[in-house]
Amino acid sequence: QIEEKIDSQEIFDLIRSITDPEHPLTLEQLAVVDSSYIKVTNNPDRSKQSHVLLEFQPTIPHCSMATLIGLSLRVRLLRSLPSRFKVDIRVREGSHQSENAVNKQLNDKERVAAALENSHLLGVVQGCLSSASRRG
Amino acid sequence: MAMVQEAPKPKLHLLAELQGHSDRAWHLAWNPCLPILASCSTDKDVRLHSYSFPSSSSSSSSSPSNDPSTSANSTPVFNLREVIPTGHKRTVRQVAWSPSGKTLATASFDSTVGIWERIEDIDANTVPISSPGSYQNGFQGSLKSSSLAANSNAAKRDDEPEWDCIGTLEGHESECKSVAFSHTGSVLASCSRDKSVWIWEVQPDAEFECLSVLMEHSQDVKVVAWHPKDEILASASYDDAIKLYIDDPSDDWFCFSTLTGHTSTVWSLSFSPCGNFLASASDDRTVRLWRRLSAEECAERNMQVEGKMPGRKGEKWVCVSVLKSWHSRTIYSVSWGFDASEREGNLGRIATAGGDGKICVFEISRDPDVTKLAPITKLAAQIESAHGVSDVNCVSWAPARLSDNPEDENGENSIEELDDEGHPLNRSRLKGSLAGDHDMCDLLASAGDDGTIKVWVLPTSKYAAESSSN
Repeated sequence: QIEEKIDSQEIFDLIRSITDPEHPLTLEQLAVVDSSYIKVTNNPDRSKQSHVLLEFQPTIPHCSMATLIGLSLRVRLLRSLPSRFKVDIRVREGSHQSENAVNKQLNDKERVAAALENSHLLGVVQGCLSSASRRG
Repeated sequence: MAMVQEAPKPKLHLLAELQGHSDRAWHLAWNPCLPILASCSTDKDVRLHSYSFPSSSSSSSSSPSNDPSTSANSTPVFNLREVIPTGHKRTVRQVAWSPSGKTLATASFDSTVGIWERIEDIDANTVPISSPGSYQNGFQGSLKSSSLAANSNAAKRDDEPEWDCIGTLEGHESECKSVAFSHTGSVLASCSRDKSVWIWEVQPDAEFECLSVLMEHSQDVKVVAWHPKDEILASASYDDAIKLYIDDPSDDWFCFSTLTGHTSTVWSLSFSPCGNFLASASDDRTVRLWRRLSAEECAERNMQVEGKMPGRKGEKWVCVSVLKSWHSRTIYSVSWGFDASEREGNLGRIATAGGDGKICVFEISRDPDVTKLAPITKLAAQIESAHGVSDVNCVSWAPARLSDNPEDENGENSIEELDDEGHPLNRSRLKGSLAGDHDMCDLLASAGDDGTIKVWVLPTSKYAAESSSN
């Protein structure tokens, strides 16, 4: 069956109002996310996989919250996007001093799954996501 | 204007689909002696499925046919045997059987390893089977005749659990990722995000003693795997490296070799049945094949051996092949199994699977040119969207045969002799065992994020023709 195509603006709408873990502001307000940082490859007929590449820009290069923000983005998309989408999340190139280490953790499915079984961490993520449906 | 059409690649044939896990299925393992397939999941259960090769003749089910002409081509049938709610507090990430088939180990994100045995074995209630040899009663040992013996295809007679937890191995500081028994069953290895590999001695009365804690990796250890013939352990890690360990009897277990080359996390390891090769699968979307060079082969090439000690000449493992461009996302699993067909230089078959939802099967052969270390790899079949849109987390070949003399844990019963190709030296042992004329090694099982377990065969398998599905 053919499903709807989803574009980068729709994905941006899903994530723009996620709250930053440290400040009472959204990721959009902090310019951590932008629709131009999102690349979508749609294959609704499933002849190939559908894919999202989502990049985000931590506010400071040594931001200790980078993995937490990345995790919140991942959970939001996991819960909102059709299951056919494979999602890769990265920090914008040059925007973080431990770019490779952060990217590797965020894209390790097993590490993400184990982190989300940690009830404390999940609670913090849920807190960031509580505002997410405001969509700007 | 001529368009170049790629010849369509043969597709794997689906034999069975086993649903039931309510969340991602991470791993599965075929019992080496009994017709049981175990799977585990984020849902914290282990599911056991029994399988059999029912006769396709019209004789009554109470007298199962041993006549090869009727039962040999019948497709295996899988039935749910038991759901074990493991009691682990988090995801069950891997399951592993002991070589005797009597013990199951579960590795969990709750940082522990569970050890399970059949309740009747725990009670040491031994009743020898009176009619060995028929394929449904083809295994001996301490089994009550009322259970597995009667009809391995049926669900258990009652709703009572068959398996019980006899112990928990504690010590890891964070999620346990993998567990595996050595080929003799005398030791067990576990590994964790805490970067360590633990080696445990399997003692009588369900005692497990920690022999060694190896902190060689710099990151999360994803998998441990034992050599099929020697007591060599391999581990692979988020640090992109593979490490090999042996025991120095006068001292301790130690890492004698580090295999580098992958450019990202190594997720899975599988030794070839002959034991001369190791396959590794990585987030870098490649599979690497590593070959064991003997001390003599090292000398010929002016290479230094590793792992040399009294009684051991040493060896060196080198990367001889990189299989790339077959998978477009992380490869989560690789399995190297027997190939019963008669082909030149047969080294078995490798199955791979990953985040692109694809399963590939390659035939591996020795290069007739003996100066070439790399084996020949040829794609035999593949299937895309094996689990729909879901990632495939594990693939595993069924054992070539189910041992009809389960080894005791100390390996004192005879271990079947295998030649260099991994084929049994005494081929007549295949008859009369549970597998009989069944091409067990044709069966490939997969576990996916959709929570299902699927069983596949190559389109050239006799089961592909017989099966009415797909």
